[in-house]
Amino acid sequence: MKVCIKKIARKEEEQVIIECVEITPEIRDIHSYITAKGVKLSGMTDSQHMQRFRLEDVHYFEAVDEKVFAYADEQVYEIKMRLYEAEAAYGKHHFVRCSKSVVLNLMKLESISPALNGRFFTHMKNGEKLMISRQYAGALKQIVMGEHENEK
Amino acid sequence: MKNRKDYFEPIIAFMVCTACITIMEGIVGMLFFPDQKMGYEAFFSPPIFGFCSVLFGVVTYSKKELSVKQVLVRRGIHLLLIEGLVLGVNYAAGAIFNPLATWVLVAAIAVVFVVVYVVLWLNDQRSAILFNENLKRYQQKIMEAEKVPDQFISH
Repeated sequence: MKVCIKKIARKEEEQVIIECVEITPEIRDIHSYITAKGVKLSGMTDSQHMQRFRLEDVHYFEAVDEKVFAYADEQVYEIKMRLYEAEAAYGKHHFVRCSKSVVLNLMKLESISPALNGRFFTHMKNGEKLMISRQYAGALKQIVMGEHENEK
Repeated sequence: MKNRKDYFEPIIAFMVCTACITIMEGIVGMLFFPDQKMGYEAFFSPPIFGFCSVLFGVVTYSKKELSVKQVLVRRGIHLLLIEGLVLGVNYAAGAIFNPLATWVLVAAIAVVFVVVYVVLWLNDQRSAILFNENLKRYQQKIMEAEKVPDQFISH
């Protein structure tokens, strides 16, 4: 298949056109991949301003008192979404549940380390430290380690 | 859902505990009861104490997420239960300890307790290192898959 990328001047005019003889499962895969890219969210900042931000800038989502916050590179946004909805919607963007109240971005995870209470801490690339619940540790390891988990 | 750690941790704890109790019994026995003779049944005492100690670990289990402080309190209770078990069994068996031997025994039990948790922590540390190596590979793989080759770009 021929692939061509053309640089244009205006962001609003960015588009992807797929030219194909018929819509095969591969074409559907490409379509779903493209539609999933460049996801933008809306959220309320501390100063009560509604702003758009990129999903890939989000380090983690946290539920606090019925509210869900997205912790991005430089800002915290309150989003109108339940935590389980964020987990389901952004799972394919490498967001994974690490505790009852946190869904983190694996691409923003720096490392993990053992905690004194038999659990693990996550060290995010922005320097924040979160706790991994025992309940979700297995699933997290399965995603990252996959077949390598047997080496454990 | 239970993960592998939930099953392997008590087994590791039992193994380490049994080995440490054997060494501890040997040292305390040589120091305070050098003339004591025992039968083959003495070989069963380390695994029995090890098993009971791991069983008492149930006090550290909780369905809720515990804070570090809560876990430390529960581990303190766990240690007290083990100390009570060992001293109680010795008392029931009629062993007579002088105060020094009692305190040495109490301290030795605490040392074994700490050693078991240090070994478990080291095992967690090993898992964390393995996870971090795989995490880097995972992130690299995704970044490479998402990278657009230059030859596809025209201006």
